[in-house]
Amino acid sequence: MENALGISGPQATLMAITASFTVLGLAMLMGAMLMKRRWKPSYAFEFGFIAVMIGLVFYADWSSVNTYSAYQADLNAEERKVSGNYVGEGEAAFDQVVTVIAFQWGFAFINEEDEISRNAAVVHPGEKVLFKIVSNDVIHGFNIPVARITAEIDPDEKREMWIRAPDEPGKYLIQCVNYCGVGHSQMKAWLVVAGEEGPAGHENVEGNSNDNA
Amino acid sequence: MTTHELDSPRMGNMAHWKPENLVGNMSLRELLFSNEYRHIALKGIFTAIIMLALGGFFALVFRTELAMPDQQFLGAKVYMTLMTLHGMVMVFGFLIPMVVSICYYMLPRVLGTDRLHWAPAAQWSYWILIVAAVLLVIGRPDFTWTAYAPMSFRTGNPLIWMGHLAIFLVAVSEFLAGAVLVRNAFSGKGGWKNTPLIAWATGTVGLLFMASTFPLAFIGLGLLGDGLGITAFFDPSRGGSVKFFLYVFWTYGHPAVYLPFVPAIAIIYTIMPRFLGFPMWSYWSGVVAFLLLALGAMPIGPHHFQPLYTVSGSYERFVQFLTLLVFIPSVLHVFNWIATLFMKPIPASARRAIPFKFMIFSIAFIVYGGATAFLNAQIAPDSDFIHNTYWIPAHFHAMFFGFVGQMAIAGFYYLYPYFTGRLYHQGMANAHFWLWQVGLFVKITGMGVAGYNYFPRWVYDYLDIPGWAIPQMFITMGGFLVGLGFLFFAVNLAWSAKYGKPAPDDPWPVEHDTRTAPAAVPAE
Repeated sequence: MENALGISGPQATLMAITASFTVLGLAMLMGAMLMKRRWKPSYAFEFGFIAVMIGLVFYADWSSVNTYSAYQADLNAEERKVSGNYVGEGEAAFDQVVTVIAFQWGFAFINEEDEISRNAAVVHPGEKVLFKIVSNDVIHGFNIPVARITAEIDPDEKREMWIRAPDEPGKYLIQCVNYCGVGHSQMKAWLVVAGEEGPAGHENVEGNSNDNA
Repeated sequence: MTTHELDSPRMGNMAHWKPENLVGNMSLRELLFSNEYRHIALKGIFTAIIMLALGGFFALVFRTELAMPDQQFLGAKVYMTLMTLHGMVMVFGFLIPMVVSICYYMLPRVLGTDRLHWAPAAQWSYWILIVAAVLLVIGRPDFTWTAYAPMSFRTGNPLIWMGHLAIFLVAVSEFLAGAVLVRNAFSGKGGWKNTPLIAWATGTVGLLFMASTFPLAFIGLGLLGDGLGITAFFDPSRGGSVKFFLYVFWTYGHPAVYLPFVPAIAIIYTIMPRFLGFPMWSYWSGVVAFLLLALGAMPIGPHHFQPLYTVSGSYERFVQFLTLLVFIPSVLHVFNWIATLFMKPIPASARRAIPFKFMIFSIAFIVYGGATAFLNAQIAPDSDFIHNTYWIPAHFHAMFFGFVGQMAIAGFYYLYPYFTGRLYHQGMANAHFWLWQVGLFVKITGMGVAGYNYFPRWVYDYLDIPGWAIPQMFITMGGFLVGLGFLFFAVNLAWSAKYGKPAPDDPWPVEHDTRTAPAAVPAE
């Protein structure tokens, strides 16, 4: 999927950087505790470390700006027209536009035919779907693990988010990730990717796409 | 006794008292109201340990609920109340008061003043915090420690105002503690170039305490007023703004993380030279890191709600950039500690000492939890699997418990002979140590795995989705190992105070083991 920049995308590099920093730090600590050899590091060594850190800061900033989950507007011209201003002039760039109302506690999905579902957004494989999300009470979260994206919705504002639907038909989790009151843990719904013969059943339940990305 | 005279005083290695049974000889009146620095500090330390037991007990109850999917013995309301109290009791009741109290204990001796300036403010800070803790336990809020408006005044709990008032009282208490820390940091003799690192730490973090508690006090009063219907700062249904709440809250909320973090770093700079018998690798590297950490704390609060924006603009990118730059002071600190350990042979006495062991493993946990901050800071991964999944508890349990909590315990074990006049029991202390390292590693790693699989925070029950149930079971097991370790700790501190070996004049002599490593004896 173009927007699943997961284990094999740019985020893999970031994960690798994080892991190597962890390993390097722990190895240095173990060396200090266990090695026979004693050594007084020079300031230059520390400055070198800091220089690498500053380089990584610039790399991380560049990488974040070029990643879809954060900067949805930067992908292409049609989507840029929609994202952030909610005027709808670029909606034609999407195969489907779903209005989502997040409330205490659940989601309501309203499709282009004005059909409302309390527990599922039905889409077709590989479609580009735009979610227009509002909250009518408190701060909610809107997370679709398979699309690798999270939005936080503040009741003052309208929020938009787009995904490319998975190619495999099945049921994929949609969940609230911001604590919104005692019913928070029930605040779940499904992204149903309909196959050839209509919405799929329970057989393909995916919590995330880490293993099939 | 000559070990600490060899070193430069600014390295803060003068933290030495004559061991005596200070705890046993304290009268009730002294315990409650004495302004002597060690009395105030001990009261804070022991109250914090009671809070640790309480917060840990809450955690074990709800961890049992979470061990398996679809089992219910706590309702959502009870679960969330325990979760909220766990967070508040651990951060405001255990971590911050414990490390601040250890600084109260060490500062006057390290600076050579032997008295805590503005001690009545420290006394008020303590008692106001007790009132806040009582209000929290009676009010039983279930709005999590972040108390997001407008959810936090729409909980249907008639006593919820107590939770809002408690937030305000915590702000007042922390403001007073910050003032005491700043005042004492400036009390040393010999000029700022000779000020020990612990004073640089308390001076910078004390200013951060004083500045950041204003937003928190406003949040407490604002929630109280909004909940009672008097004001409408944060209630969108009456014209208030949720964004306003988020910006104000996180202007406190991010520095709040540094309030326990910086004093814990100060404890390392104080006890590491004591155990090693030589000064830190670099004094100025530590000073610069403290200054940068204090400067960076307040502007980067908005990284806690990065996925709020569809198009993250220049301001959000600026916040992301500043957040990433916090890596620099953190790396300066960790590099300094590891470089110090590398300089000369590590004395056999240090390798045996429980506080030293806790210190080494807290450095390991700061590396383990701190490296993930590189991912958390970026808007893109944050808007993927990080924002409010279990990845975040993994990060802050490594930092708060693995590092700050363990440094607080290291400081406690270090001071133990000085205030009881006796040594702790080595076997029980070792059991405590290893149970905590294994338990913490298992539970933090479990949280990280669950978070990478998008397990959401703040749920009392969950679907049996692949990758969710197994990490939860591991987290629960890790939690119980930590609980078992705490039992060893509690028994040890009570038993050794009465039956432990009497402490020698210097409980922490620097001794090299000449039999196993003859070449390792340093020249002096």
